Amino acid sequence: MSTSPGAAEYARGRLLYKGAEADVLRGEWQGLDAVFKVRKPLSYRLAVLDDAIRRHRTVREAEMIHLAKKAGVPSPFLYNVDVPASTLVMEFVAGDRVKDLVGTLPRIEMEDIFFEFGRDVARLHTAGIMHGDLTTANVVRRKGNLVFIDFGLSVRTTRLEDHAVDLRLIKETLVGAHPEAATSALEALSRGYAGVVGPARSRAVLKQLQSIERRGRYARVT
Amino acid sequence: MRRHVLGIESTAHTFSVSVVSSEGEVLSNTRSVYKPPEGSGIHPFEASQNHLANAAGVLADAIDRSGVSLNDLDAISYAMGPGLGPCLRVGAVVARTLASSLGVPLVPVNHAVGHIELGCLLTGSKDPVVLLVSGGHTMILAYSSRRWRVLGESLDLTLGQLLDQFGRHHGLSSPCGKTIEDAASSSTNYLKLPYAVKGNDVSFSGLLTVSKLLLDGGSSFSDVSYSIQETAFAMVTEVTERALAFTAKKEVMIVGGVAANRRLSGMMTEMAKRHSATVSMAPLEYSGDCGAQIAWTGWLAHSKDVEVPVAESKVLQSWRLDHVDIPWRG
Repeated sequence: MSTSPGAAEYARGRLLYKGAEADVLRGEWQGLDAVFKVRKPLSYRLAVLDDAIRRHRTVREAEMIHLAKKAGVPSPFLYNVDVPASTLVMEFVAGDRVKDLVGTLPRIEMEDIFFEFGRDVARLHTAGIMHGDLTTANVVRRKGNLVFIDFGLSVRTTRLEDHAVDLRLIKETLVGAHPEAATSALEALSRGYAGVVGPARSRAVLKQLQSIERRGRYARVT
Repeated sequence: MRRHVLGIESTAHTFSVSVVSSEGEVLSNTRSVYKPPEGSGIHPFEASQNHLANAAGVLADAIDRSGVSLNDLDAISYAMGPGLGPCLRVGAVVARTLASSLGVPLVPVNHAVGHIELGCLLTGSKDPVVLLVSGGHTMILAYSSRRWRVLGESLDLTLGQLLDQFGRHHGLSSPCGKTIEDAASSSTNYLKLPYAVKGNDVSFSGLLTVSKLLLDGGSSFSDVSYSIQETAFAMVTEVTERALAFTAKKEVMIVGGVAANRRLSGMMTEMAKRHSATVSMAPLEYSGDCGAQIAWTGWLAHSKDVEVPVAESKVLQSWRLDHVDIPWRG
């Protein structure tokens, strides 16, 4: 059952992160340590467009968080889905974002993380989920496990192209934000991915990824 | 000692020459712009003919206005790519001729890096998240470890192509951005269009198709223009905001031809407020293609001894921005 206590209740939380899509606050929800993911109206966007996007993404994210668990990929527990306020209330996941771990850990440990990262992405894909936002800021390591914390752009799809787009974003983030670690991280990630989906599917997705990169502007055709 | 570099831009519709000093003064910036017939885009060969016919005049004018004599030039830079082959070759021929007759180094410059570096010079941005929006590019970038890194981009059409192809469907000639902006300002009737953000990337092809269909179905040009701007610019603003939040930088800089659009810069300014970040744009004269972007980046490259022997110099129609080594940034 969902309730809508209004925006003021969520605003009492402590701001953890001001993202592009939503403010993430930490507060208490019926005695539980919780996170409020509030999709505030974005003033730069036309209201009619903005309302539709925020509601749609809130509901879809709740569904996807649930589906991820069914696929065996750890995701936060949902406490409330407040559609009128475009807000999700969920468990606070204590741990380190992979983004902050890259560069601080020994290479072996780093590769373990990305191997597991690859396995989890493969589990999502096998279950027909495209995460849609696989940056290193959206995965938290908690007690050795990876928890995927942001499903705001996730969709149900089994298309090769969509799965390749997912991997492309990881690659873009790694090469763009962690260039020094990118090569070994991507290698570990591919191994993990292939281990779950199998070598044939893995080859097909990676081939599709190359084809997407070639479509990019001024890409060198190889 | 004050040094001087001459730069030549000829990647697409604009042939432009500029002289800059090592102190960052733009001493001249002259140009000739090819205009395609109504309803068409740039015809590469026709554009190159415009450049050939006007090269000498634009060059002479740039030298005259700069007050610098040919013998006081320290290097000649040219846009090696990316761009239209026939157009690129005109600039390259002029640059080779100058460099070999004056006996000074020939410096190849990436056109897109040129937009960014000139933007940084003119706006004073130090370490920005860059939104590069033009007919050739739609990319969100930030600098790290000797490269401008792509944090997001269009997966298909560029923003400039979206606007131009839509405009041409209506019978306009490229570039159509200004006409679309004016038409949009007289409408507030939003027609629903596909909003395609995929992670850090955007896709405009579906948006273009539906916009053309709406126009064919009798919707007014101003309503569709308004809706295209509201949708496409919001998509670009959203992914720029993602890059800003992700990198936690405090500056946003918009460069490229579409930077001239006030609705886009308005949205970006509104967005940046939420992150206490500043937004800056190159002045109108320098936001589109111009020689100054090549001359200034040519100076930066020359200061780190980037050059190419005339006999080995070439043009690259495809040359991705994130493949260019940037030795002049820390």
